[in-house]
Amino acid sequence: MYTMGIDVGSASSKVVILEDGQHIVAAEVVQVGTGSSGPQRALELAYEKSGLKRADITKLVATGYGRFAFEDADKQISEISCHAKGIFHLVPTARTIIDIGGQDAKAIRLDNRGGVKQFFMNDKCAAGTGRFLDVMARVLETTLDDMAECDAKAEQAASISSTCTVFAESEVISQLSKGVDKNSIIKGVHQSVASKACGLAYRGGLEEDIVMTGGVAKNAGVVRAVERELKKKVIVAPNPQTTGALGAALFAYEEAKKMKKEGLE
Amino acid sequence: MSKVEAILKQLADVAANPKKAMDDYKAETGKGAIGIMPLYAPEELVHATGYLPMGIWGGQKQIAKARTYLPAFACSIMQQIMELQCEGAYDDLAAVLISVPCDTLKCLSQKWKGTSPTIVFTHPQNRPLESANKFLVEEYKIIKTKLEKIVGATITNAAIEESIKVYNENRAVMREFVKVAADYPQVIDPVARHAVFKSRMFMEKSKHTALVRELIDEIKASPVQPWDGKKVILTGILAEPNELLDIFKEFGLAIVADDLAQESRQIRVDVIDGEEGPLYRMAKQWQQFYGCSVATDTKKIRGKMLMDMVSQTGADAVIVCMMKFCDPEEWDYPVYYRQFEEKGIKNLMIEIDQEATAFEQVRTRVQSFVENM
Repeated sequence: MYTMGIDVGSASSKVVILEDGQHIVAAEVVQVGTGSSGPQRALELAYEKSGLKRADITKLVATGYGRFAFEDADKQISEISCHAKGIFHLVPTARTIIDIGGQDAKAIRLDNRGGVKQFFMNDKCAAGTGRFLDVMARVLETTLDDMAECDAKAEQAASISSTCTVFAESEVISQLSKGVDKNSIIKGVHQSVASKACGLAYRGGLEEDIVMTGGVAKNAGVVRAVERELKKKVIVAPNPQTTGALGAALFAYEEAKKMKKEGLE
Repeated sequence: MSKVEAILKQLADVAANPKKAMDDYKAETGKGAIGIMPLYAPEELVHATGYLPMGIWGGQKQIAKARTYLPAFACSIMQQIMELQCEGAYDDLAAVLISVPCDTLKCLSQKWKGTSPTIVFTHPQNRPLESANKFLVEEYKIIKTKLEKIVGATITNAAIEESIKVYNENRAVMREFVKVAADYPQVIDPVARHAVFKSRMFMEKSKHTALVRELIDEIKASPVQPWDGKKVILTGILAEPNELLDIFKEFGLAIVADDLAQESRQIRVDVIDGEEGPLYRMAKQWQQFYGCSVATDTKKIRGKMLMDMVSQTGADAVIVCMMKFCDPEEWDYPVYYRQFEEKGIKNLMIEIDQEATAFEQVRTRVQSFVENM
């Protein structure tokens, strides 16, 4: 049985196809999100990779910011539940999840069965999210992919505010005009993102293992900054951008099994 | 349209159009209206003048003019009230009664930008003391004198006693309504429930009581149906706008009780009967009031009160409606949050911003919360 999860985010679209709730047959990411061609392109990539078509998919669950805009789904489930599901499937020892996506950051506490005990999200503010890094990368004339490497070369972190993306951008410009080392500024930017996300994690109380997910978890500089802030080891989820879609595919599998048991399909 | 639907529509229309409610009252009685600022005021004194006490609880304006007078970190409701003041929305009021239990209200009371006269008074915060009652009686006397001057008539003790009776009856019927709304969530959804509460701020209370009484009797004539959604209790200053309440409805949440300053905190405590004069008994009501962030409580019973409400109503969770930048509410939160966590009470905090036009984040939070209850 094949089930699909699609995570229609603000900045990217992710699709996971699962076979019998275990084997990932496709996990695709397109770097544009809701309201764009991203969801459709991610779907097409996943079908191409797996050799499957829509008729082969027993259940499809949509999650992410654009979950209600994706019309082909059998069900919509929030990204918090889906990230929790996906992460617990990959890392059963996970008890705290830090998810930093394109426009929001979340801290999720799990119980020992993978249930969501508590969660906190950022409020109407891009500071501490992937969008913040996007803006800073542009000002610093670098790419998101290069930022982790630059961070590793820095001896110290420049001080960058974590309260507002616009103010932080002018702080970065000010630091650049003073001739501060670009790598140090990048390290400071990562620290700023980490302090914002960790603020959410502190609110829910920290319990190990701590797992980072979301697109920003691919940036090793931010992961190191989170570890420095928390003074704890952080596990980066395998393929962190697709854990929400994986969770959605797992929910779809559970739903399909339930329907089958009830003889509805 | 059923009778229940007709009454709910009538109350919802009043809640949605307070200006019309005020104009209708003026046309009917020949008397005006007096504004009642959040959070608590001796409305009975205003009612005793024959003027209509009109609740002033903000709106859904885009904030521009208010920025001149209030910092960005003033709470959302005061930003809205300041914006509406600047636009002259309250200038038809004969006066505005302002209590000052928080820093923002203290500041705002000193820079009212409308043309109506203001009557500012203070609630004593060292409430257990008898001197607090005496102080508040003096404050109420000042309010009474100022009201008499504004309306051009004497407020007799007999009129105040009659108003106390009207208000106690309204509080009692609203407490009954809360229970009925909990028993019949299929009939009273979160939006309708809020409209019943909100309309009481813009209606003469005996008329509101009569309508709510009729509503309750009509609803209770039908059997209680099982509810397959979740049951929640709301706490905070208010739960608006309706787009937020629609989200609760969308995810099958029934509001089985509330601890909102705009709603059940207004009806929590009656003015007691007794030998003492009406002003003293009204002052005692403030002393007996409990569970609110702006009424100092050194024992911090709010958490226990909320947990008792959970067990009494069988609620699945508490939703904290945190008014944006309301520091008294934010100070209370860590205390009861810790108590909730210790006792395993499911809880969710959402930010209330009356200026909000997008609700996706709230939708995600509420959906996640319901999925994991």
